[in-house]
Amino acid sequence: MTRTYTPWFLLVVALALAAVYLFPLYWMYVTSLKTGSEIFANPPTFWPREPNPDIYPETWARRTMPVFLLNSVIIAGGITAITVILGTGCAYVLARYRNVWIDIGLFCVLMLQVLPASVMVTPLFVGFNQIGLLNYPRTAVVLAAAAKAMPFFVVLVRATFMSVPRELEEAALVDGNSRVGAFFSIVLPLARNGILVCAILTFMSAFGEYIYSKSIIQSPSLQPASVGLSGFLGPNSTDWSSIMAYSAIYVTPILLVFVILQRRIVSGLTSGALK
Amino acid sequence: MTAQIELIDIDKHYGNFHALKNVSLTIDKGSFVALVGPSGCGKSTLLRSIAGLETITSGRMTIAGKEMTGVPPRHRDIAMVFQSYALYPHMTVEENLTYSLRLHGVSKADARKKAAEVAATTGLSELLSRYPRQLSGGQRQRVAMGRAIIRNPKAFLFDEPLSNLDAALRVQMRKEIRALHDRLGATSVYVTHDQIEAMTMADWVVVMRAGIIEQQGRPLDLYDKPVNRFVAGFIGSPAMNFLPGRIADSGNSVVLDGGGSLPLARNVEPGRTVIAGVRPEHLQVRGDDANFHLEVGVVESTGSATYLTSRDGNFQLVQSERTQLASGDRVGLGIDPTRVHLFDPETGIAL
Repeated sequence: MTRTYTPWFLLVVALALAAVYLFPLYWMYVTSLKTGSEIFANPPTFWPREPNPDIYPETWARRTMPVFLLNSVIIAGGITAITVILGTGCAYVLARYRNVWIDIGLFCVLMLQVLPASVMVTPLFVGFNQIGLLNYPRTAVVLAAAAKAMPFFVVLVRATFMSVPRELEEAALVDGNSRVGAFFSIVLPLARNGILVCAILTFMSAFGEYIYSKSIIQSPSLQPASVGLSGFLGPNSTDWSSIMAYSAIYVTPILLVFVILQRRIVSGLTSGALK
Repeated sequence: MTAQIELIDIDKHYGNFHALKNVSLTIDKGSFVALVGPSGCGKSTLLRSIAGLETITSGRMTIAGKEMTGVPPRHRDIAMVFQSYALYPHMTVEENLTYSLRLHGVSKADARKKAAEVAATTGLSELLSRYPRQLSGGQRQRVAMGRAIIRNPKAFLFDEPLSNLDAALRVQMRKEIRALHDRLGATSVYVTHDQIEAMTMADWVVVMRAGIIEQQGRPLDLYDKPVNRFVAGFIGSPAMNFLPGRIADSGNSVVLDGGGSLPLARNVEPGRTVIAGVRPEHLQVRGDDANFHLEVGVVESTGSATYLTSRDGNFQLVQSERTQLASGDRVGLGIDPTRVHLFDPETGIAL
């Protein structure tokens, strides 16, 4: 009986942890639809008495959300593009060659992951300022955040490349292809799923990037939605339903993408490109 | 015979590991050469060097008379069949077959026609639109072969292509590969650790160990006249038995340390210590005129032959007749004097 007991117990723990994490999400949606007095009602209501969906278009227009969201997409797209193009090449080399320098390179890449953005932001700010990059604040954020996103991407994609048998590449070489040609016609198609999944994950985390954007981008017209959200939190602000509506608009598309691609993301991360 | 592949003083180092030591080998046009040896002997490294997948540390090689040292694989015009077949998983059988043609700028229509021809000769016509994962092991093997023959290359290189197949299929593919080789008039280099494959398929067998060529020659020459104890023990199945002993004063027999003696067909320096080699299939069960005696341990009957192993486990013999011998029996054995091999106990070199 203990054999069935253990998985059930673990499942309960997993569900409890998931509930702790997902409850705020539920609370966000519910609160966004409540009126001001209901938000502070005690005991709290778990479903709004008079749902008020008008808050969504109103917040959308009042907080210039299209601008913020467009900036978020531009910044996240830039981060993802740089990470994918450079990270794929980097991961391939790290997967295919074995020597001391490769080990040192891998170590350095992993070190990037260890350094928190909040520590790096000040030296980056000073450095960018000296070379004049702060005049192009979104570019500056893309560069900084791409460096931050790189290790995660490289390590995962490297594992994908390692699952592509080397003999396939050698067969392509003998069949008359060059190293570069073999990479593009054999290795890349087979690693495509893993790369796509990692690119999606990179995009999703870049979409919520906050620290670099908050510190580097001054002009509200260039700020992403994450920084725009913090604009609510002034000393007098208690406009909780607008904050929650803003958050909901910001998070829902990403959430939908994840739910739709969830199966592929999980299988792409665990199984590699082929068996 | 003209040489199709010539290897001259090939050396290969991996860091401190000396994988190929001054290997020279000439492969005649149209011949089927097997490189055989235990794992780690350098046979695969040598094959991959011919393909250009490994860069050699020093030495030269030519293929069809052209200097190929340092030339990348794609300019060598050779085809290779890998142990894992290395079929491209994201391409259909037809795309796998025509991959090299497409790279060499053959038109789509011509490539398709060629693929259909090759598929017909290898029995793949029904499978052209399938993906490798939908094929059985034997079918994948055929696709790998087809991919090699479609280009009509200067040489075929096989890297243990049969080791992933089951025993029955392996025997069948052995014949098919050999038949294909003969039909195409191709030059083939075949790497295997299985000496039966080497003996049955090849015109010329190269036995390697620890990065050097121990002996090369026609299969039966290796069987009849091994130059050292390693080759003697490696070629032939079950393996040759080795018995330590000393040449008798008369010079024409070996007194065995374990009791008994073996007759010799020639005279050897008396008193010399030797290792005598006798093949399991050359021993006969005899009564009174036995050369030496043995206690039977395990008896294995296959129907066509009976394999006997001695009680101490390090002596084997094969009897083609059925035998009444059972475990624990003491059996007298004799041998034709011309079939006794002698080796130096120190160097292992044949005497």
